[in-house]
Amino acid sequence: MHAELMGLTDAPPMDAEALTSALVLRAQKGDGTAFAELIEAQYDCIYRTAWRWCGRRDDAEDIAQEVCVKIGQGLARFDGRSAFSSWVYRITLNAVRDWQRAGARRVRHHDAFADVSPSEAEAEQEAVATACELWAAVRSLPEKQRDAVLLVYAEELSHAEAAAIMGIKEATVSFHVFEARKTLRGLL
Amino acid sequence: MSFPDDTDPFANLKSGAVPPPRAAAKTRALASARAAFEAEAKKSAAAPQGKSVGQRLTSIIQSLKGISIMDMRIPVGTAAIALLVLPLGWQLYSSTALTPTMQVAPQVGQNVEVAEAEADLDSEVPVSAPREEAPADASVAKTGTAAAPVALPPPAPEPMLAQESLDMAAPAQPTLGAAPMADSFAAPSGGMLSESEAEVMPAPQSTQPSGDEFSRFEEQRLKVAAEEPVSTFSLDVDTASYSYARRMLEDGYVPERDAVRIEELINYFPYDYPAAESADVPFQPTLMVYPTPWNKKTQILQIGIKGFEPDVADTRSNLVFLIDTSGSMDEADKLPLLKRAFGLLLDQLSSDDTVAIVTYAGSAGVALKPTAADSKAEIMAALDQLYAGGSTAGAEGIELAYRLAEDARIEGGTNRVILATDGDFNVGINDPEKLKDFIAEKRQSGVGLSVLGFGRGNLDDATMQALAQNGDGNASYIGSFAEAKKVLVEEIGGTLHTIARDVKVQVEFNPAVVAEYRLIGYETRHLNREDFNNDAVDAGDVGAGTTVTALYEITAVGSGGELVEPLRYGGTDSTGATEEIAFLKMRYKLPDSAVSQLIEQPVTAEVVYDDIADAGVDAQFAAAVAAFGQKLKSSTYGTSMSWDEVEDLAKAGRGADDGGYRAEFIRLVDMARLLKPDTHTDVCDFPASADDCD
Repeated sequence: MHAELMGLTDAPPMDAEALTSALVLRAQKGDGTAFAELIEAQYDCIYRTAWRWCGRRDDAEDIAQEVCVKIGQGLARFDGRSAFSSWVYRITLNAVRDWQRAGARRVRHHDAFADVSPSEAEAEQEAVATACELWAAVRSLPEKQRDAVLLVYAEELSHAEAAAIMGIKEATVSFHVFEARKTLRGLL
Repeated sequence: MSFPDDTDPFANLKSGAVPPPRAAAKTRALASARAAFEAEAKKSAAAPQGKSVGQRLTSIIQSLKGISIMDMRIPVGTAAIALLVLPLGWQLYSSTALTPTMQVAPQVGQNVEVAEAEADLDSEVPVSAPREEAPADASVAKTGTAAAPVALPPPAPEPMLAQESLDMAAPAQPTLGAAPMADSFAAPSGGMLSESEAEVMPAPQSTQPSGDEFSRFEEQRLKVAAEEPVSTFSLDVDTASYSYARRMLEDGYVPERDAVRIEELINYFPYDYPAAESADVPFQPTLMVYPTPWNKKTQILQIGIKGFEPDVADTRSNLVFLIDTSGSMDEADKLPLLKRAFGLLLDQLSSDDTVAIVTYAGSAGVALKPTAADSKAEIMAALDQLYAGGSTAGAEGIELAYRLAEDARIEGGTNRVILATDGDFNVGINDPEKLKDFIAEKRQSGVGLSVLGFGRGNLDDATMQALAQNGDGNASYIGSFAEAKKVLVEEIGGTLHTIARDVKVQVEFNPAVVAEYRLIGYETRHLNREDFNNDAVDAGDVGAGTTVTALYEITAVGSGGELVEPLRYGGTDSTGATEEIAFLKMRYKLPDSAVSQLIEQPVTAEVVYDDIADAGVDAQFAAAVAAFGQKLKSSTYGTSMSWDEVEDLAKAGRGADDGGYRAEFIRLVDMARLLKPDTHTDVCDFPASADDCD
């Protein structure tokens, strides 16, 4: 009885992280239901990240889909050395980069339409306008700086986590953030 | 950082609202992810499961993927330096005075040990070896068997050719990554084979990443009876190849071509041939001719013998076990298995028999002086004290073992050294040729050698075979407890008691009846025609109760199955009796005689069966095993039979199958079918369609 109580207090109901890693393990063994559950739980997060990085819903949806497919293909190779969420971030960031590079030409053509398209802003309030400006400015930063800033501020991760995702040292993350501030001070 | 935090512009980023994704997009994404996942799962299920030990992560690139170049400075720099330094180091190591020092040092130490061991022979104290060199070598043994054949210099280079091998060292190095195994194949057998390498051999179709070494051999070619009517070979009673192939198949790999020796597959199984009546004529041949299952136009000539089985209680044995205790033996299927198997063996022995244990490598010395085999507790206690650890650093283990065997010699009994190893033959004589000579010399004095191979990944099959052949013994591969039971209990008579030595077979085909013939297997046992009557030429030995089978595929004259066109000017004026198909001659020596005896028997139409089913279950089963072996090694001949046909034939030939070995074989055929489906058969394997391949 006592032990049971102890057990209950010591082990809180499975937290999200443990649940995720359990699902990952089951999916790696080929369990399709576990994978479906896993990817469903991850989708919103992936989409949100994709949106933050590219700022367009259509693109974000496409990127999120691509990331989901990549997770499906690559899950067997996920070795658990990093957190699953970091792994997903890495795939997402890579997908965003690939998407934007591949789309560079396309975007150039579309820029003309972008100006008149109402998708972004019915910017009535000043705050919203500023926020939009800020987002646009951050997205226009060099890749590394943008990734560092978004991971740290938008995704609210620690520098260490961001470093793990970007595959660089923690100090380098700080450096990128610092550089981004310098760059942005000119822009804003 | 000096930047003021209160004006941090990025703080607003976290409040940014994200427009929610459309439900349709989400559903689409999830569906395609699931599809991708399932496709991937199917793909990985289709691929052979499992990874071999030799196939672990070999590149650091993968783990660095996605890391920016900024942080790769150190790994890249290190790698560059390593690339420069390692080949230089190897070159220095293999071509300068460094090498001798390394090899001589342990020997000196162990010479002393032998002296000690001799002195202490009676006090029965296991002498422990110096183990300074242990960590380095042990780590080589543990870290990746793929590296093993490279790191441990293969037994090939003979010191006599030191100058040459030095010259060869440089070209040999670049093949490290490319194909270390292929190179080491030809090596142990010396120069003869490497010449024949010029003949293009089909590449092994599925090279397995095992560290095991096999001597390479050419398949027996078809011979024209009119040109070469006489076929001579030595009997082979080894079975190691079957055990090895079985283990590879069970682990999900197709064994290398050179690992499959068909005669050893066939001889693994007991056959029900009539046994000889007395020890004076220790065996009599059983002959059969029946249609070939894989070729309608040819027939198989089966020659079977069963050795005379004396009452085991009548013979006395003096056995010295020479046990490898190097670090690599410390695996469940090696030293611990040996210990358990040993108990089985002891039960077979009586108080008239003596057992001694000598270890080499790791802990070297006499672990048990010759002891009557009925003091089981004492023997098992000595055995339990053995532990595997340290490097395989020679010691004069083998000489010590032979000395013990000679000390405890039993006149008229079996005197034998039994070497148990997982492939490290640093028993004190490093040169394989000298080792063979040493064993052959000791054989003359009446002490034989048998080899028990354990484990996988390090097994030096070629050396194992060579040593056992020179020691008048057999090489057995023990992969499991069941196998240990077969070798050490059911066939202990054959392992310990030789009833006939130097058994040679010579078959002369009648060109008037037989157009072409081909010996199946026995490639490594080929003898020259003149060797048959030369008693000095060594050949295989037959143990008590052993059955040995040899198969010839023969093409009758005018059957239409001939592959070789008859000569335009070749007159066939055969003088022999035309009803005889062939004439079998066998030579053997009785165990204590140096003069050979002759057995002669014609192969007449009486032993010809029109249907393989009439020839009996043994014929069907032997043919099935031969077909299995030929398919497994993608032979030039007989691969047209499908796995299903092989299995059906084996099932038809199962018979009583007391030990369950034949049932196991049928399971193995099943396994082989999965690993090497029939469609895999290369069209180039068929001589008839060779034109299509160019």
